[in-house]
Amino acid sequence: MAKILHIWSLSKSFPGQVALQDATFDVEEGEVHALVGQNGSGKSTLIKVLAGFHKPDPGHNVTMRDEVFEIGDAAAAHRAGIRFVHQDLGLVEAVSAVENLALGFGYRTGFGRRINWKKETLKTKQALLDLGFDIDVRVPVAALGGAARTGVAIARALQESEQNISILILDEPTASLPGADVDRLFDAIRRLKTRGIAVVFVSHHLEEVFEIADRVTVLRDAKVVATVEASDLDMSSLIELIVGRKVTAATVNRSIDQTLEPRLRVEDLWGPGMNDVSLEVRPGEVLGVAGLTGSGRDTLIPMLSGAMERLGNVSIDGVAIRAGNPSAAIAAGLAFVPADRLRNGIISMMSVRSNTTIANVGRNKTGLRLNHKKERAETQDWISQLSVVTTSSEAPISTLSGGNQQKVMMARSFRLDPKVLLLDEPTQGVDIGAKEEIHTFVDAAAANGSAVVIASTDSAELARLCDRVIVMHRGQIVDTIVRGEGSMAQSIDKVLLAGSSLATN
Amino acid sequence: MSTSESGVLMAPKRSLLNRLGLDRFSALYLWGAFMIIFGLWKPDTFLSMTSAKLVLGENVSTGILALAFLVPFCAATFDLSIGAVMSMSVVTMCFLSDEKARSFNMPVGVAAVITLVVCTLIGAVSGFIVVKLKVNSFIATLGLGQVISAVVLKISFNRQITDVFSKTFVKFGRNQYFGIPVVFFYLAVAGIIIWYVLEHTPVGRFIYATGGNPEAARLAGVKTDRMVWGSLIASSFLAGVAGIVFSAKVGLFTAATGPNYLFPAIAAVFFGASQLKGRPNVAGTFIALYALAFGIKGLQLVVGTDSYWVNPMFQGTTLIIAVSLASQKGLAKMRKRKVQTT
Repeated sequence: MAKILHIWSLSKSFPGQVALQDATFDVEEGEVHALVGQNGSGKSTLIKVLAGFHKPDPGHNVTMRDEVFEIGDAAAAHRAGIRFVHQDLGLVEAVSAVENLALGFGYRTGFGRRINWKKETLKTKQALLDLGFDIDVRVPVAALGGAARTGVAIARALQESEQNISILILDEPTASLPGADVDRLFDAIRRLKTRGIAVVFVSHHLEEVFEIADRVTVLRDAKVVATVEASDLDMSSLIELIVGRKVTAATVNRSIDQTLEPRLRVEDLWGPGMNDVSLEVRPGEVLGVAGLTGSGRDTLIPMLSGAMERLGNVSIDGVAIRAGNPSAAIAAGLAFVPADRLRNGIISMMSVRSNTTIANVGRNKTGLRLNHKKERAETQDWISQLSVVTTSSEAPISTLSGGNQQKVMMARSFRLDPKVLLLDEPTQGVDIGAKEEIHTFVDAAAANGSAVVIASTDSAELARLCDRVIVMHRGQIVDTIVRGEGSMAQSIDKVLLAGSSLATN
Repeated sequence: MSTSESGVLMAPKRSLLNRLGLDRFSALYLWGAFMIIFGLWKPDTFLSMTSAKLVLGENVSTGILALAFLVPFCAATFDLSIGAVMSMSVVTMCFLSDEKARSFNMPVGVAAVITLVVCTLIGAVSGFIVVKLKVNSFIATLGLGQVISAVVLKISFNRQITDVFSKTFVKFGRNQYFGIPVVFFYLAVAGIIIWYVLEHTPVGRFIYATGGNPEAARLAGVKTDRMVWGSLIASSFLAGVAGIVFSAKVGLFTAATGPNYLFPAIAAVFFGASQLKGRPNVAGTFIALYALAFGIKGLQLVVGTDSYWVNPMFQGTTLIIAVSLASQKGLAKMRKRKVQTT
């Protein structure tokens, strides 16, 4: 296939840091090209230079359709037919898809500069249908599902003079999408491919790379390590390229004393999307929760932790926990890592230290006074235990990468020495190295006698960690998969697929 | 050659700006600038002990009111009723301890305690409206402030009240120790207490966490409702204290007493929030308060007798300039962060 974009020896350095070194990268016509690497490996820098957000260091050589291309200039990138959809999508949530598209391009006006809503609506509808989304384009985009929102962002990026558009770049489009939505998004990407548009996408989910990508470029430590055909790779060789060493996932070998009383007991749980669920988790046991979004998988942990309202009895070691009261639940021995780290997890204006200790500040008290020195030492301890990358315990947590913020969230929970540990999507948007470290810590918590519940859309993660996985559908447990019955991940996916076909029928 | 030269020049330039801390210490620099400018302009009046004492003493009620605004502000909660609560405090003091026996003629101590109870109750009410009725604090306290103003007008018949306090009470407001107005010590004590609570106790951490991300704080086990409610009670209590100090010092009530102090108090908190730590804090608030106060005093001396307009003009412009400087700093920080996250 013809190469349209060709980049040779592209570098970008910031004061005190080389973010991208001597990178070579190319894009072929109509291909799907995955860009993978750990946090800080340079993939975002590459995209930001392409988008014209950063100026590259001198000494590069870039051509676009065999003509010299001025990289690092947003207007030039636009002229050359490169479009971007950033991770946050950049949509105005409160207005409709029609208006979001018009915001990028301007409204078509009729007599008296009146907006021709009918034309606008039809145009938007068609653009989204071309991507495979048959949605109501007049409702606020906030009311749309994750995949549809991404669809709107893509449609907005692609409108106007499409014949000139040759490359669409998606920055972590699947980071916050549940499984079924990922499939819809991939369907849209395949449609783009048939239209001759090359799609470059950044992802942390490696299985997606094999599902959709034609070629893969791997970055590590600011350098391009390799660009390979996806079909020439398997999972372990890809991971080795990304991490730079062989990663052997520890196999779980836990024995749970079935004679012990359950630590966590849930009886007749009712709530939004939850239909009479009962479950028990024993000390040292890790229970996985699988299911599509809306199945109850996504609301179970918020309900148990007190983030969401619920009906039914929840008890820890026989002590009942009131609904909707996180502080009482924490006092009873529960700790919880929420799925939406930015909204429900970190307090971004506060330091790593304050974020670590917030759930039990009183521990480092001398009399009435907070002992800052002791607190700093404790935080430093957690930083080294979880190998959090930060300048110090006093740095604002907002300066940390997502994976490291998640480690701080883990530290916040682990330091409570919880009887029951609830983890909601614990490794979403976290790179492979950090993911394995987080998994090791979950093992340690279980070994310590905690009852652990993990809700995750990542079947491989559940298979890696859990002794038992419940699969949810329409607010009920439809299946339980126990370790030792063949491949857990495959069994989970099988039940999930069966569930989704049930849902569409 | 030329590139390396410019590189060498660039580096110290940036570090110099950082070292001087023009952003985090801008109020201190401003304060210094005022002292020099007005000191040169009006050396005999501005640089006298009398005017320094005057500024120290005159701004004590404003300072306590600023603390009242600061506490809920740290929890991202506005209390705009504190101006009205302060005038409620003054009018209650007048009403209860009136020596001319028109009404209760209580001992001043008893009157002060009752006044503080009344003010604290008002805080409990605004907390109820914000936490239980889930009304945005800005609206809730703005509304409640109007209601309290109405009550104050009704009690006072919209008249000026003077000359009602005993000589002993007035001593509490007008004496001097070591050449410093006694009221200044009240402000210092209040400031130290609030500083200690905010910076050195778990409660302070909880208040800032509530202000930073209420939902995340609640899920981490912080009793955020209690923090908001408690901070509103504390702010009304402090506004009551500001009113009592004002009564002792000035001994005069007009309907404009409290509300006139609201803006300078808020200005000091906002300006102060950009100082030192980049978040609302006691020391920054005090520095901002006195930087502005000395600036106003200087300007009043320069303008002379027609200086009634100086106060609001100065407060308003400095607040806007200070906060815009701070948000420039915030923007710069964000740019830097974007660069760091690769």
